[in-house]
Amino acid sequence: MTRDALCTSPEEQRALERFYYCEARLLDSRQYQQWLALVSEDISYCVPSRINQQVDNRQRGTEEMISVERELQGSDSMGCPIREESYVHLMLRAQRAYKINSWSENPPARTRRIVGNVELMARVGEELSVISNFTLYYARPGSDSFVYSGQRRDVLRAAGDSYTLCRREVILDYADIEYPTLGLLF
Amino acid sequence: MRYSISELVNADASLISRRCWTDPEVYALEKRAIFGRAWLFLGHDSQIENPGDFVQAFMCETPIILARGQDGEVHANINSCSHRGLPVCRADHGNTKRFVCPYHNWSYTVEGALTSIPQEGALCRQPDKSQLGLKPVPRLESWRGLIFGSFDPDIISLEDYLGDMRFYLDAFIDRFPQGIQFMGAPHRWLLDANWKLPVENQLGDVNHGAFLHSSIIPREAQDMIEERGYSVVTAPGHGATFRLMPADAPVDEVAWGMEGMGGLFGGAEVQDYLREIQARASERVGPLRAQMKGLTYGIYPNLSFLWSNASFKVSHPRGPGKVEYWSWAVVPADAPDAIKQVLRTNYSSFFGPGGLLEQEDAEVWVQQFRGSNIDFADDRPYFYGLGLNEEKPHAQLPGLVSVTANEFYARHFFARWRDELIALEKQA
Repeated sequence: MTRDALCTSPEEQRALERFYYCEARLLDSRQYQQWLALVSEDISYCVPSRINQQVDNRQRGTEEMISVERELQGSDSMGCPIREESYVHLMLRAQRAYKINSWSENPPARTRRIVGNVELMARVGEELSVISNFTLYYARPGSDSFVYSGQRRDVLRAAGDSYTLCRREVILDYADIEYPTLGLLF
Repeated sequence: MRYSISELVNADASLISRRCWTDPEVYALEKRAIFGRAWLFLGHDSQIENPGDFVQAFMCETPIILARGQDGEVHANINSCSHRGLPVCRADHGNTKRFVCPYHNWSYTVEGALTSIPQEGALCRQPDKSQLGLKPVPRLESWRGLIFGSFDPDIISLEDYLGDMRFYLDAFIDRFPQGIQFMGAPHRWLLDANWKLPVENQLGDVNHGAFLHSSIIPREAQDMIEERGYSVVTAPGHGATFRLMPADAPVDEVAWGMEGMGGLFGGAEVQDYLREIQARASERVGPLRAQMKGLTYGIYPNLSFLWSNASFKVSHPRGPGKVEYWSWAVVPADAPDAIKQVLRTNYSSFFGPGGLLEQEDAEVWVQQFRGSNIDFADDRPYFYGLGLNEEKPHAQLPGLVSVTANEFYARHFFARWRDELIALEKQA
């Protein structure tokens, strides 16, 4: 990834943030059907797994030695990502929430997302590569409360005065998976 | 202890005390009576193909390094330095010549021998390094690439231990010309639950699907599973559930992998590959097992296998109320990489920490521990009596066989569990 974000206009930055704030509000308000309408039907949605990688002696003294990328097993790897999903998966997740027998979310968890550090990293034709950070507070009834944090690496396409989500990679900051689920809509 | 183990599980194991799940003293006994004596799953050959390859594993709470030595053989040692006990291996997997303790740089070969003590040069007398290697796991054997270890030097052979489960495991593993491959590091999920409930769930509990998972599994699909479903116990604690499909069933309804998300949506190349595997299944595993469409398997005490959702799982105890639940995606070893990448989603779509189905299972496992850890209800043991004594031998299927609603798989597990704990109790 390049070091600097693109120099973008205040209007474009504002439009991107407006999209992400809207998305966060819909998810925290459990309006998953409205959220799904922001998603392209050809979406690829991946949560790489994050492993404890062996130090490569040849990389001593370089940033590569401890790079985050070395810890990720994503779609292109021959490891196993936590999630590799299409629109069908996200639709099943959204629909499931409105069934009375989706027991892990009945009663529903209370969530609050704070999204920030929105940076437009690249523009290729119609597609915008945007990264953002999030923290997600998650309180499940009859259980404990959890804080998720991570980075989202998105590809957005302009759609009217908003955007469509075409690709999302969620880099979660867990060391050991001590959450009741990583199946949330991050 | 305030009670004897025989009070926790009744004679026919149809009544199970809540304390089996929650009592720290029971857990202390389990460690010695079960995990100190059984064959425990460590890993698969495909994870350590080359000399120097290693992966981390656990035997109950004891950390293990599983490695391919420079001699080409598999080695398993306790991941704890002979000097001060630190783990000498900190990566999930990799390839190395030496494991080095961070504290004083004691170094060990991949086979576990101690090669250097940096401080010793400054001293008059050098310790005998041949006595100070990592502690090896006393018994290590593998079958079809599945590697197991045991702390009991006198345990029966792994093949005898697996017994007739080999018949059912081979229905899957032998279906593929080069067997199976584990993909990447396991997903390691820490849950506030007792280790036995995930095991019981995968050992034979097919019938919770209609209820717990009804937000995802349609009733008609579950009816089909139960209609064609068999539950088998080959030996107490080992079990398999599967469907036997009619000989004239269309190939797409029988073939492994077709009913997962990868098989359904992965494209023609993937589906053609799966059909090709099924076309040769009869020749590879015989006509009966070619028509098998598995559901869940369990190997005593804590290994599980999911057929359609293509996963091996180990339930590692971390105390009575905590489990570290490991899952790997498994794929046919001969498949092209692009097909493996699709087929691994047969696992991750529904199972693992991000899976659509298993989030429901994890919730009930945690709530079951909470429900077991309450007061004033010890006079109400759990009812495990569904289908009592309804299981029977079968002409073609090894083991005791019944419908999936029969909870005999759990009764057999707990009868073995009880007897093994009592045997240790008597020795004490």
